[in-house]
Amino acid sequence: MTKQALLEVRNLVTEFSTEEGWVRAVNAVSFTLHRGEIIGIVGESGSGKSVTSLSTMRLIQSPPGKISGGEILFHEPGKSPVDLLKLSEQEMRGYRGNRIAMIFQEPMTSLNPVFSCGEQVTEALVLHQNLDKKTAKEKTIQLFEKVKLPRPADIFDAYPHQLSGGQKQRVMIAMAMSCNPAVLIADEPTTALDVTVQKTILELMQELQQQNDMGILFITHDLGVIAELADRVIVMYKGHIVEQGSVLDIFKNPQHPYTKGLLACRPPLNKRLKKMPTIADFMREDDQGQLIGIEKSVDDALAEQEESTADRASRHKLLYSQKPILEVRNLNTHFPIRKGLLGRVRDYVRAVDDVTLDVYPGETLGLVGESGCGKTTLGRSILRLIEPTSGQILFKGQDLATLNPKEMRAMRKHIQIIFQDPYSSLNPRMTIGNAIMEPMQVHGILANDSERRRKVIELLERVSMKEMHFNRYPHEFSGGQRQRICIARALALSPEFIICDESVSALDVSVQAQVLNLLNELKRDFGFSYIFISHDLSVVKFMSDRMVVMQKGRIEEMGDPEEIYRAPKSEYTKKLIAAIPKGI
Amino acid sequence: MIDFILRRFSYGLLVLLGVVIIVFFLFNVLPGDPARMMLGQRADVSSIEAINKDLGRDRSLPVQFLFYLNDLSPISFHNQSDSSDILFFNGDKYGSGITLLPLGSKRVFVLKKPYLRRSYQSGRKVSELLLDALPGTMVLAFSSMLFASLVGLFLGIVSALYKHSWVDRLSMVLAVLGMSVPSFFAGIIIAWVFGFLLSDYTGLHMTGGLYSSTVFGGEVLQLKNLILPTLTLGIRPLAVIVQLTRSAMLDVLSQDYIRTARAKGLGFRRIVLKHALRNALNPVVTAISGWFASLLAGAVFVEFIFGWKGVGKVTVDALEKYDLPVVMGAVLVVAMIFVIINILVDILYGIFDPRIRIQ
Repeated sequence: MTKQALLEVRNLVTEFSTEEGWVRAVNAVSFTLHRGEIIGIVGESGSGKSVTSLSTMRLIQSPPGKISGGEILFHEPGKSPVDLLKLSEQEMRGYRGNRIAMIFQEPMTSLNPVFSCGEQVTEALVLHQNLDKKTAKEKTIQLFEKVKLPRPADIFDAYPHQLSGGQKQRVMIAMAMSCNPAVLIADEPTTALDVTVQKTILELMQELQQQNDMGILFITHDLGVIAELADRVIVMYKGHIVEQGSVLDIFKNPQHPYTKGLLACRPPLNKRLKKMPTIADFMREDDQGQLIGIEKSVDDALAEQEESTADRASRHKLLYSQKPILEVRNLNTHFPIRKGLLGRVRDYVRAVDDVTLDVYPGETLGLVGESGCGKTTLGRSILRLIEPTSGQILFKGQDLATLNPKEMRAMRKHIQIIFQDPYSSLNPRMTIGNAIMEPMQVHGILANDSERRRKVIELLERVSMKEMHFNRYPHEFSGGQRQRICIARALALSPEFIICDESVSALDVSVQAQVLNLLNELKRDFGFSYIFISHDLSVVKFMSDRMVVMQKGRIEEMGDPEEIYRAPKSEYTKKLIAAIPKGI
Repeated sequence: MIDFILRRFSYGLLVLLGVVIIVFFLFNVLPGDPARMMLGQRADVSSIEAINKDLGRDRSLPVQFLFYLNDLSPISFHNQSDSSDILFFNGDKYGSGITLLPLGSKRVFVLKKPYLRRSYQSGRKVSELLLDALPGTMVLAFSSMLFASLVGLFLGIVSALYKHSWVDRLSMVLAVLGMSVPSFFAGIIIAWVFGFLLSDYTGLHMTGGLYSSTVFGGEVLQLKNLILPTLTLGIRPLAVIVQLTRSAMLDVLSQDYIRTARAKGLGFRRIVLKHALRNALNPVVTAISGWFASLLAGAVFVEFIFGWKGVGKVTVDALEKYDLPVVMGAVLVVAMIFVIINILVDILYGIFDPRIRIQ
């Protein structure tokens, strides 16, 4: 069976001008997308996968970028292939949004906030299909129905901020589908969404693809998602394609060490691991930057790290024989809804609703739920970063809720928080050394700055950073490195208790594995207790000794993660578990 | 929406009350005898006393203040019959009024125009004085802001689109220059160069108001006299608007939704003018409205240099002479303009950005 080729990329080279000269972000990439096929492109950030997709649309910002070689042939039935790279900008615009459409990672920011959703979709229809406003509106409402938006006629007039993330992504898909494109490029379309929403979006894309016989280029850092969807997989590393093949081949019999690493570093659902395998278990780079593979299969790597049930049981026995370090009793955090001329309080949003839980010394308590379930508010209420409405927070027997601001400030030394976004939680104008030193100065830890400096360097080394990084600024580091810096900052006060609020959610899976391992290592060495908050059930399951599932501010289920995963009691937990991409 | 406007308006009234209190008590601490100002140095004691009584100056300060408020308020409390009472409803002062509610035989509640009293200096009604000066100021403020906004937006957009090009650098240099040159200096230079040195080519004069009188006693609109003051007054807001537009546009152009717009296949012009500009407008609107409001308060130097009759000149003259009613009137009018413009701007924000639309 010969399938009809749609998009043929040959030896594509895209370069960016940097201070060190031209850097090749995409280096001699070739692949062919056929009609009715879904190709998944996988790689970490910086692997060149997004640049490949943007190059295909010729949307690379220039300067600093330029496409410096290769060809991108677009085939249409009954016409000779067109090299998109040779078209004028004017001609290219006729393809964009019309023959080749694209959806992006961030539905929150990818729609223009000042125009209604309907208008943004009709715009493309009016442009490419010369429809009049009225027909375009009708067609848009049909499209909204097709992407299963509720009340399509209302959403037509709604503005992006009035919709949820999943709904926005549906609007984006409707926009992309509006002109029946032959090729759809999806750049991490579900990364920013909850798993349950991700599942419905993936199903929708599959359905639309079959209806329209499109070719889809699906870009992601998560192999799990690819397995659900793609026919073929392309694995990219540092601008090169290191491996490509059918989904089954890649998953069952990966050849390249990098592919193996990517497969192994996703937290497995059926095993209990002591430590996550990372890409470094499969390959390393020598001094010249040449890759050296380490012979090892994915299964072996996972088996090495498996924790036996007996070990775990004895560890837990010890853990739960102690007195809890933190006891939360009937905690409520309510936000008032004000209405009317005088702004009287009409109702409350119950973000945290009557939550009671314990954390034992040395334990990791996982907190999982979708966005809006109150898990972040709970974490911050415990620290009183958000004032709780009522309830007790007993830390080593002392009620944090009744402390006055000064006592609370002294208390903060013992409880630290690591936030989600390592990009915005570091002050860009402060060197990382000073950022880590600041909490020590505030709390008067160590006698003087030179001693503190020594301590900071020790901490940096502890999180696998170097002394020379002391005087650098945050923008010089990658996301994973920044998160390590945030961890070092939290460690600076030698806390006993750390709340990790989605601390790995912004990171690639491979980096995520490293950071998770680091957190576990530190816990062992320093004897911390964690509350680990995440929307990703597989990550929480790997990290935690006990797991709490939250929904609408309440605790839905609490218990051993393995048991919850095996036999979920509540409907909501079942739904969450069903939505996790399982891989092959 | 109406709810919002009403609420903002009542806040506005509170602001005005605050302004009245501050200005009134500040001026009553200062030395100066209004009766002497009105009658001159050689007035006799009895007429001075009569005037003081008429103004209520024989009463304590808080009582004087209440009388003043009563005069200002559109709904006020008066005496209908006794013409010697300070509260007597005098048609000469208050114009016509509508009786709302009679209280007994003598007292009434009346709906009238706010009475800003008379100038100590000229004896004219303050409201007339200000109404005379306001059109000139309004025309000047409006034309300068129009000039500054149009040119500023254009230059700002072009600089953002061609960042680091010569156009960008040139307009940034001009912007810095425009911001740093004081308007009294710029005014003199501009008047001298275009209204004197190059007068033969430009056909413009150094001074002149909006109207000039003809030999037949009529008045002719002289729009060309508007050009130089507009230019002078517009330079600083122009500089601010260029810089704000540029940075807001640069910010917006790097947003994800601009990439979406490009991926849709939209043309360059449409992306810039439709998708980018509307998102970039809010900070610019803030700047424009702020400048506009302060220009309406009068631009003293420019009015002085170009001999333009406006609120600024009236206010400064009154200040020099402790002409309290005029100063009070001017300050109140300006405060009111600020309040109104702020409400308008809040509504405008909502039109440009649905996210801050008032529920």
